[in-house]
Amino acid sequence: MSQSRQPVYRLNKGGRIDRSRTLSFTFNGQHYQGHPGDTLASALLANGVDIVNRSFKYSRPRGIVAAGAEEPNAIVQLGSREAAQVPNVRATQQALFDGLTARSTNGWPNVQRDLMGLVGKLGGQFMPPGFYYKTFMAPASMWLTYEKYIRKAAGLGRSPMEPDPDTYDHFHQHCDVLVVGAGAAGLAAALAAARSGARVMVADEQEEMGGALLDSRETLDGKPADQWVSQVLEELVGCENVTLLPRTTANGYHDHNFVTLHERRTEHLGETAPLENGLRQARSRMHRVRVGQVILATGAHERPLVYAGNDIPGNLLAGAVSTYIRRYGVAPGRQLVLSTSNDYGYRAALDWQEAGCEVVAIVDAREFPAGDWVDAARAQGIKIITSSAVIEAKGSNRVTAARVARIDIDAYQVCGPIQVLACDTIASSGGYSPVIHLASHTGVRPIWRDDVIGFVPGGVKGMQACGGANGTYALGDVLAEGVEAGIKASVATGHAAQAVSLPSAKRLQQGVAVALFQVPHEKPTLRGPKQFVDLQNDVTAAGIELATREGFESIEHIKRYTAMGFGTDQGKLGNINGMAIAARCLGLSIPEVGTTVFRPNYTPVPFGAIVGRHCRDLFDPERYTALHQWHVERGAEFEDVGQWKRPRYYPQARAGATNGERESMSEAVARECLAVREKVGILDASTLGKIDIQGPDAREFLARIYTNKWEKLAVGKCRYGLMCKDDGMVTDDGVTSCLADNHFLMTTTTGGAAAILEWLELWHQTEWPELEVYFSSVTDHWATMTITGPNARALLAEITDINLDRDSFKFMEWRTGNVAGVPARVYRISFTGELTFEINVQANYAMHVWQTLFKHGGKYGLTPYGTEAMHVLRAEKGFIIVGQETDGSVTPEDLGMQWCIGYDKPFSWIGKRALVRPDTKRENRKQLVGLKPKDPKVVLEEGAQIVFDPNHAIPMPMVGHVTSSYYSPTLNSGFALAVVKGGQQKLGETVYLPMADGRTFEAEIVSPIFYDPKGERQHV
Amino acid sequence: MSNAATFDTRTDSAIPMESPLAYSYRRSGAPATGPASRVTLRERALLGHLIVRGGAIALDEAVRGVLGISLPGQPQTLVQDASGERSIQWLSPDEWLVIVPGGEEFPLETRLRERLGSAHYAISDVSGGQTLLELAGEAARELLMKTVIYDVHPSHFPVGKGVTTVFAKAATMLRRPDEERWELVVRRSFADYCYRWLLDAGAEYGVNVEQ
Repeated sequence: MSQSRQPVYRLNKGGRIDRSRTLSFTFNGQHYQGHPGDTLASALLANGVDIVNRSFKYSRPRGIVAAGAEEPNAIVQLGSREAAQVPNVRATQQALFDGLTARSTNGWPNVQRDLMGLVGKLGGQFMPPGFYYKTFMAPASMWLTYEKYIRKAAGLGRSPMEPDPDTYDHFHQHCDVLVVGAGAAGLAAALAAARSGARVMVADEQEEMGGALLDSRETLDGKPADQWVSQVLEELVGCENVTLLPRTTANGYHDHNFVTLHERRTEHLGETAPLENGLRQARSRMHRVRVGQVILATGAHERPLVYAGNDIPGNLLAGAVSTYIRRYGVAPGRQLVLSTSNDYGYRAALDWQEAGCEVVAIVDAREFPAGDWVDAARAQGIKIITSSAVIEAKGSNRVTAARVARIDIDAYQVCGPIQVLACDTIASSGGYSPVIHLASHTGVRPIWRDDVIGFVPGGVKGMQACGGANGTYALGDVLAEGVEAGIKASVATGHAAQAVSLPSAKRLQQGVAVALFQVPHEKPTLRGPKQFVDLQNDVTAAGIELATREGFESIEHIKRYTAMGFGTDQGKLGNINGMAIAARCLGLSIPEVGTTVFRPNYTPVPFGAIVGRHCRDLFDPERYTALHQWHVERGAEFEDVGQWKRPRYYPQARAGATNGERESMSEAVARECLAVREKVGILDASTLGKIDIQGPDAREFLARIYTNKWEKLAVGKCRYGLMCKDDGMVTDDGVTSCLADNHFLMTTTTGGAAAILEWLELWHQTEWPELEVYFSSVTDHWATMTITGPNARALLAEITDINLDRDSFKFMEWRTGNVAGVPARVYRISFTGELTFEINVQANYAMHVWQTLFKHGGKYGLTPYGTEAMHVLRAEKGFIIVGQETDGSVTPEDLGMQWCIGYDKPFSWIGKRALVRPDTKRENRKQLVGLKPKDPKVVLEEGAQIVFDPNHAIPMPMVGHVTSSYYSPTLNSGFALAVVKGGQQKLGETVYLPMADGRTFEAEIVSPIFYDPKGERQHV
Repeated sequence: MSNAATFDTRTDSAIPMESPLAYSYRRSGAPATGPASRVTLRERALLGHLIVRGGAIALDEAVRGVLGISLPGQPQTLVQDASGERSIQWLSPDEWLVIVPGGEEFPLETRLRERLGSAHYAISDVSGGQTLLELAGEAARELLMKTVIYDVHPSHFPVGKGVTTVFAKAATMLRRPDEERWELVVRRSFADYCYRWLLDAGAEYGVNVEQ
C-alpha cells in the first residue's frame, strides 16, 4: 500500500465534479482520491494511472481510451469483499463512491509486472488468429484443461463465490414512446412526446442526462448547452406522463418493440444497496418495456484511427479527451498530438490548449482543412500538419512520441518523410459511427451512408432513429430531428402534436471529412508493428488481413476467426474499422462486406438483474395442498410432481434409536406399504387434476375424448378412463364419476391437469362446438384424502353418516354425506388394490377432517403414506402411471388394456383411427409385462435395457426397458414393470439386463399383476 | 333445474376452516405496519366463488334477477353491487367469476339454476380453490408492476376493469374495484407462492399484512 498521491492530471477548475468533497477509492490495492461527479475512469486518469489492464491475448499494457460504454480496456472487477464481486464493469461507466474497490480483470500477478506480457512479447508473432484452435487442437480431450489456463491467463472477470447480499427486481413497463438516450436528440424528442400527453419513458445510461451537451463547446440561445439540458429536464420531471430513468441502459431491443432496460439504482452509492427509510431496496432493476414507438437517440461513438502502437496507454479518442477535460476536470497528459480525419477532432486540441496544456501538433489527413474549429486552432497558434497522420505511437507503458508522416489514402501508403514528435498523449478521430446496436438486435441490417462514412439503422417498424444515431451531427439538425421523431411517435400512438420551440444553435462551418480507417505504415501490415482494431479482443489489422488471405471472405467468418467484436465489447470501437480493412484486403466496398450482427446485451448486465426475484425460494412456484403444514410437521420428505410438493414418504425415528436417527427411504416405504396391505393407510391425493364437466352432451363428449365407453355409466358410479392423443398413444388416465345425467367429474394425473383441460377445450372449441358441454377446473377446490387398507371401512364408519355396507356402497361408486361433520363426496375407487375410500371435502375444511381421521385412526393402525409407497402399491397391482409406463409411444393395447377400448362406439373417438394403422397393430410392439428378477433381492434399475440374448455381439438388439421397479415388502422380492417387444406372448421366458458395471441380471417375464390378481381385496 | 348435481360443501356447524394463507401466515409471518409502510396486503378469505359459464343473454337475465346486478358484457370488466360485496368478473366470452360473501354461494347457485331452467350453462363452486388478496396504499400499483405483466397504468386499467394475467410465474385474476384497491384472485395451491412473492417484492415499500 502506498501513500495517497496528489492527483497529477486534475485541473484546478472546470468540469461537473464537486471539488469541495473528496472520495477515497482503491484500485489494484493502491489508494487514490477523487470527487463526486467522477467516474472511476476519470479519477484514475486524474491520478495518473496509465495502465488499467493487460490485454486479452498479448497481455500488453492498456490504458483508458474512451469515456463511455465503448471503453475497451478499462474493464474492472469491483468489490472489496467476496460477496460483492462484480465482473466486467467499465470504469468509464462506474460512478465513483467513497470506498470503491476495483481491480483489473486481467494481469497476473499484476498489471504493472505481468508474466504473460513476456508471452505476448516473445510469442506475439506466433499467436496469429486461430492460434488457440490451431495449437490446442489435439488431443481434443485436453481442451478443457487448456481452456482453464487460457482463461485464467486471459482474465475475463469472475463471479462471486459467496451469495449476493443484494436483491434485484423486474418492472413490467408499458409506454407509448420510449426514448433511448437523453442527449440533444433524445431530450428534444422526449420534450415533443411529453407535451403531446403520450406516456413517455426516457432511458439514459449515464450518471447525468444530457449526453454530449454536458461537455459541448457549443451554445444554445447563446448560453452554455447544459443550461438547456437543465431546463428541459425540469419540465420533464414535472410531467406526470414522463418517466425518467438515468443510469439506465437499453440493453436489448426485441421483437414487437419489447425493450429491456437495465437500471443501476444503487451502483453509484456503494457496493451493496443502502437501506432507504430502513427498508431494503433493489440494487438493479430490469425494466421489461412494451413500447408503442421506440426512438433511438443513442448518439454515435467516435471511431479511432488504426495506427501502429495505438494501444499504448496515452492513446485516446479525441472526443474522450474533451469529455475528460470539460466534464471531469482532467487533462490526462501534458503534451498532445491529435490525429484526425475531420473537424470534430479539433475540439480535443482546443480544449487541451484551453486547459493550459501543450498541443504539440494537429495532424490532419486532409490536404486543405477548413472550418470554424480549424480556424480557431490556427488562431490559437496550434501547429497543423496536413495530408498526414500519426502512423505509429512510440512508448511501452505510456506514449512517449508520435511518428507522423504524409500519407496517400487512395494509394494506401506513406509518401513522405517521417517526423517524430515527442508527446505523452495521442488523440485520434476517424469520424463517428452511429450507435446502431439496438436497431441491429431486431435483425434488421444497417445501411451504409457514404456521406456520413458510417452505417445508420435499417428500418424497424415502430422505431425511429434521430441525431447521432442517424448520422446527423450538426447540433441544430440534431435537435430538429429529435423533435420531429417525438412528434411522429406521438401521432403514431394517437396523441396530438404540440409546438416545441427549439433553442438556436450556431451553424458551424465545417470541412468535409475524409474516410480514413487504417493508417498506412512504412512497413506492410503483416510485417509492421501491431495496429489494433479491437482492443478488447486483441484483434489487429494484420489479423484481419491474414484472415482474408486464409480465405475468409464473409465478415461473419472473419469475425469468428479473429474474435473481432466478440463478447462484452460487441464491436463498439473496432467493427467499422475492421470491416474497412477487410474491404480493402478483399478489394470490396464497405457495404459490400457488410456488417456483423450486434447482439444483446449492449453492455454486460448482472445476472441478478436478469433473474430479478425469480431465485432461491421464489425460483419457481411451489404448489401446496391444504394439508401441507401437517406433512411438514410430520417430517415428510417431499417430491416434486409438476410444481406440487407431495409427501414422498414419512420417515419415523428408527426403532430403538436414541440419537433421533430416522428411517431410510426404503425402510419407511416398506413400513408404509405393509400398513396399507395389513391395516389402513392415508394419502393426500389432493393434487390430482379435477375437471367439472356439465351439459347435456357431457356424456357424448367423454365418449369421444376417452377410449372406452361412457354411455351406460349410471349416476352414482365411477369409471376408469384412458385418453389417447390423435396418434393413438396414451396421454392421460383417471377416474371419471357420473354426478348427474348432465354432470361428470373427471380426474386427471397430477402433472396433466392443466394440459388436459386445454385439450378438452381445444377439441370442444375447434372440432365439436355443437356439443353442449362446459369444463371448469375444480382441482384446488377439493381436498382429497385416500384411506386404503382392510381397516378403511371401520375407520371411516366412526366419523361418517354414509352407509358403507359393501352391498349398498360398492366398488366404483360414490356417495355424499358428512365426514367428521363436513359435507363430503366419498368415492370408492382404488389405486392400491385394497378397500379404499377417497374422501373429498372443500379444501378449507381439509385439515379438520384429516386430523379427525387421525384422532380415530390410532386403533386401526392408520399410517400416512407418500407417493413412493403409492408407486409400489399400484405397481404390485400392475396399475400404470402415465409418463412412467408410457412415454408417448405406447398404445392402450401395448398396455394390455384392450378392455378399456370401445372399438364399436358409434362416434369415432380420439386415437381410434391411429390404432388401426399397421404400425399400431404389428405384433412386435413393445408391450407391458411384469418382470420377476431371478434373484429376489435384486431391484432392477428403472430405465435398464432388456435383451433376449446376453451373449449377442455388441451392439446387442435391445428389446425393451424397465419402466418401474421396486422392492415389495409384501412379496418379499424385487419386481418390475417393463415394456418388451412382443412381451405379452412371452410369459415365462427369461430376459437379460446387462448393466453398465458389467453385471447382467436375469428376470422372468410375468403378468404385470403381482398381487391379488383377481382383484378381490378392493371389493371387500 | 338442469340435470346437474349440486352440493353444498359448507356446513353451519362450528367446524374450523383454514384459508389458503393459513400456512403462509404461520411460516412467513404477517409484517405489521411501520412508519414507512406504503402498501397493505389483506386476504379476504373464505368468500364464495362460482365459475359461471353459458350464454351471456340468459345468464345476464338470471343474475339480474338473483343478484340485482348485470352480467359484465364487455370483455375485461367487473360489475359489483352497491355494497361492493358481490361482484361478477368477465373471464372469457362464455365464462364469468362470481364472488359473494362466504356461505352465499350455494343458495346463489340454487337460485340461478332455478332461473336458468333448461338453458345450457354450467355453474361450478370453486370457493375452496381460490382466495382473494387485496392491495391498497400508494405503492400498490408499483408492487403490481413488479408482479404482473399486464399494464396497470390508470389510463389502461381504470376502476371496473378485470383481467386474467401472469403473476410472476403463476396466474391471477386482477381486478380494480375502486380507486384505492386492487384485487388479486389466486389459486389456493399457488397462494403461498403469491404471498411470499408479494412480501418479498413489497419489502421495499414496507408492505404490511392486515389479518
